[in-house]
Amino acid sequence: MSPFTQQSADYLLLDSGAAFSGTSVHSGQADSMTKVLDQYDLVSYDLENANHKILVIDEFIDQELMVEQKDKIKAFLDRGNIVFFAGHLFREWIPGASMFVPKTVTSYLDYVVTILDHPIFDGVKSEDITYNRGVAGFFSRGHHPMPEGAEVLLELPGGVPITYIDRTSTRGTILLHAGRNLLKSRETGNSSGRIREQLYKWLIEEHAAIRMREVRA
Amino acid sequence: MRKIAVLYSGSAHQHRSFTDPRFAPYIVDLIYLPRMTEYDLDAYDVLIVPSQLHQGQVTAHNKRLHDFLAQGKTIVALGAQNQSWFPAHNWEARPVNFWWWREKDARSGLELHQPDHDLFRYITLEDATWHYHGVFFPDGDVETLIKLENDGAILYIDKVNTPGTLIMTTLDPEYHYGSYFMPATERFLNGFIPWLATGTL
Repeated sequence: MSPFTQQSADYLLLDSGAAFSGTSVHSGQADSMTKVLDQYDLVSYDLENANHKILVIDEFIDQELMVEQKDKIKAFLDRGNIVFFAGHLFREWIPGASMFVPKTVTSYLDYVVTILDHPIFDGVKSEDITYNRGVAGFFSRGHHPMPEGAEVLLELPGGVPITYIDRTSTRGTILLHAGRNLLKSRETGNSSGRIREQLYKWLIEEHAAIRMREVRA
Repeated sequence: MRKIAVLYSGSAHQHRSFTDPRFAPYIVDLIYLPRMTEYDLDAYDVLIVPSQLHQGQVTAHNKRLHDFLAQGKTIVALGAQNQSWFPAHNWEARPVNFWWWREKDARSGLELHQPDHDLFRYITLEDATWHYHGVFFPDGDVETLIKLENDGAILYIDKVNTPGTLIMTTLDPEYHYGSYFMPATERFLNGFIPWLATGTL
């Protein structure tokens, strides 16, 4: 067995360096599965020869930078890896993805989340992610129109897909969520607390499944 | 009209807030922080320093911000000040209460300290009222415009601690408006940005 190195961490998490990355990036216990990389260091980082399986990018990312790095992102996916982006896209750097569309809100009911059957959200109740101490709107306030063939996981009223999986735009898998980084969600004491661990588990299983997909192809 | 530029780290909420058609006419340039050295700051009168910039890059360019103030110009700093980029603000964090308005006999605790100030021809106290992340206890004879009852300042203007004008607020309207969250932040920016352009600072 080779000794653990940061280059072999399963997760690569880009750090925007913003004040709020204290919670969106660094919260929770020290995590040996994750390498945290300053976003501007991605430019010189040898992503191809590192063994990361999952690239995690949150709402504070510099999307002007990501446009410049889009070939690197696509190549990472085409090597059979996963990109998980949580935020609002306003530049084109995720294959197949469209720009964020804010929801027109006339009532708090416009924020009610419908959970479709998927292991990431198994056992999670709609009200536990829709409301935070009785207030709706923290979770998601819009969506990215889905590429053809994508699988929707969560919706806002009117069939608006706020979270989807795209296995067709690249040889890897894209998980796109129009909200916060679900791997760093705060402990809430209700069923929404299940998401974090279930997402970690799903990401690793999905990565293995991509390899199987390649073999079958 | 004063020439306003905004430091910009390429994040979605900054892009939305500062390219919104209602605010963009007041903003001459978004200064992309990784390429800050390519911009001539002499072209601007007011520089907005938003709350969620790449902190290491702001620190690296801090001398340029102070040179800007040294020319008698204006810097507006939004949000918490965990770093010592600007002098004499004496920031202290406070627990954030997103839910104060849901509580019985809800009071935000915010109050106007100088109700006759020109800013309040552009915004009301209500427009500046949402949660806050902390308060300032600024040194010297600064003008505190909004404060927290029995506590520090939420928004003040400092013309004494640098040769320029430093407008400091613990509020982060550009983050919430740009994230499509919290209606008061939109009303705040609707008044605050025109005030920066044409009001009496």
